[in-house]
Amino acid sequence: MESTTKKKLNLQALLAPLALVILYVFFSIFGNNFFSADMLKNILESSYYIGFMAFGVTFVIITGGIDLSIGTVMMCSALVGAFVFKEHQWPLALALLLTVGVGTAFGFINGLLVAKLKLPPFIATLGTMMMSQGIGSIITKVQSQTWPTATAEIGGWFKKLFIRNTFFLGDTKISGFPIGALWLVAFFIIAALLLHKTKFGRYTFAIGSNEEASRLSGIDVSKWKVLIYTVCGLFAGLGGIFYAAAYTTITPGTGNGQELNAIAGVVIGGTSMSGGAGTMVGTLIGVFIMSVLKNGLSSCGLQAPWQTFFTGAVVIGAVLLDIQRTKAANRVKKG
Amino acid sequence: MKKLVVILLTLGMVLSMFACAAPAATTEEPAPATEATEAPAAEATEAPADAAPMYIPVMAKGFQHQFWQAVKTGAEAAAKDLGVEIYFDGPASETEIDAQVNMVKNELAKNPKAIALAALSTEAVTEILEECAEKGIPVIGFDSGVPDDKTGAVKATASTNNENAAAIAAVKFGENADLVAKMQAATPENPVVIGCLSQDAVSASVTGRTTGFVNKMKEIAETYQPGKVSVEGHTKWEAKVDGAAIIIRVEVSATTEATSLQTSANSLLATKGIAAIFCSNEGAVVGLLAATADGEDLADGGKYADLVVAGFDAGTAQKNAIRNGWFYGSVTQDPYQIGYKAVELAVKAANGEAVADVDTGAQWYNAENIDNPDIALLVYD
Repeated sequence: MESTTKKKLNLQALLAPLALVILYVFFSIFGNNFFSADMLKNILESSYYIGFMAFGVTFVIITGGIDLSIGTVMMCSALVGAFVFKEHQWPLALALLLTVGVGTAFGFINGLLVAKLKLPPFIATLGTMMMSQGIGSIITKVQSQTWPTATAEIGGWFKKLFIRNTFFLGDTKISGFPIGALWLVAFFIIAALLLHKTKFGRYTFAIGSNEEASRLSGIDVSKWKVLIYTVCGLFAGLGGIFYAAAYTTITPGTGNGQELNAIAGVVIGGTSMSGGAGTMVGTLIGVFIMSVLKNGLSSCGLQAPWQTFFTGAVVIGAVLLDIQRTKAANRVKKG
Repeated sequence: MKKLVVILLTLGMVLSMFACAAPAATTEEPAPATEATEAPAAEATEAPADAAPMYIPVMAKGFQHQFWQAVKTGAEAAAKDLGVEIYFDGPASETEIDAQVNMVKNELAKNPKAIALAALSTEAVTEILEECAEKGIPVIGFDSGVPDDKTGAVKATASTNNENAAAIAAVKFGENADLVAKMQAATPENPVVIGCLSQDAVSASVTGRTTGFVNKMKEIAETYQPGKVSVEGHTKWEAKVDGAAIIIRVEVSATTEATSLQTSANSLLATKGIAAIFCSNEGAVVGLLAATADGEDLADGGKYADLVVAGFDAGTAQKNAIRNGWFYGSVTQDPYQIGYKAVELAVKAANGEAVADVDTGAQWYNAENIDNPDIALLVYD
């Protein structure tokens, strides 16, 4: 009995990557020119910012918490960055630092509210979600902000550094290389190492498995929680940079719902909402499953409502799967 | 048909995920289940043979407004007439710039012969336009088009000339006997005021309409009171004349919120000698209706029964006001023509023909013709 359950367990862990491959093959057959370099770039570019948010919120979700503010914090960071760049002529590099800084600051505030003031994460981050949306609008006076385009005289390097670049490798011209993918992979590695190979990561899992036991065993739970939420905010700020690189124009008052895309990616990737379990690679795959689904359906000529519908269905499917997995794991323990 | 197949198969795949998860007892391996759904999928694709009509994506700024549905109807009619295949799509709301960018990128990946585009933000699609220019895919703007395009990808735009459209309202004011009598009888001591209510002085469409109305109205008023027509209110249009007998008052609201427009409408209504008001978009109409007890003050026997009011665009509230005769009439753009001309221009451009901007025109509608089939198509709810 035990061996068959174990086998099933492994298969289920493989299901997410398998689903990704199957979806990709499926749309390659059905979509209009889906299997092409252009489309692959589109899939990548529409998932960078969700990926960054998802990396950050994976930590928070593993502690058993939630961060609803990342979507609007991301937009707020991108708005503030563009605002100081355009209206106050800050150098672009400094504006980018501020963008990440704004995200980090909001993460820090979330951490204080949750860890020190003992607010439920749902409420605390619901509050900062609204506050960040408001602040973005207040600072920009509700005007859309634009980041430099690739051909802009000042800051034209922004897009070339973060989203697409054309360069020469020896004598071959590489045109429109999706350079953002390198950033995504780099930060994925950092996030994965942080989660799975450091004390920070071990404490994240420990807090999520049993907060009280962690505290009793001498972990300064509230300090680490502040740090975890701050990291989440930092990733939201990074997401802001990549959102700006992909979409250029940032509209105040938007961002609501983006956090749910990131959280959905985390959940599809097998991270448990009750905390204590999850992987970074799962999150990465979850984000790409959504992106392939979204771009694939549009490639088949199905409009946005269908994309939303199917994403929802996948989320439910993934959680059902997760429940089964937990049950199976418990059986293994008992057996 | 193909869409239905895709929907069913995707649903099948997703459901098979549930199936894997559901019964705890099954030792069945999950993989074959998904692959089983996959197999017939491969065969099914062979079926719809490619007759390959020219493929043109039509990317709108929105989708759910009836305005866009009328654009879609026009675009589809053109596609049928010209024997091309179109794909009409737009984001759920006009703030979803990212959704539109993704949409256009995905369409570009399908290597279309031409693209019709109403961009939410020109900056956000700059790289896409550059790619179009590089690949030689002509872009046709429609509705508000792609303003300030510097890449040269946009070959022509099919849109309403807002100045000409709003001038229609001024001309109709000039045909209203009561208003003409008032203008003739006006004196510097008892000036007649004609108001123009606009939601902002920034957006190209609203400022274009305001300018078009003010200029034409001034021209008409001058024929009755030469040299005694003053334009007042917002500084952008101000042309003050001392001892004016006719004052054209431009009232621009502080924000585009309905409450703010209502405040501006109230201030116009309170102006002494107010005889007519032109509302330059649906938002302004809603603001005015809010300021007049949902329009009832404009009805016979109401507080402002003699006021001549003209609107722009449509919408349920505005249509209601027109049907009841509270409004003198309204100007509507011609979304059907916008869609039709956009596709027509796109096909021409794809065939390498020279194309130029097209004014898709505007129509005047009032209680008499609002239910005519050709007008009913244009005035959305």
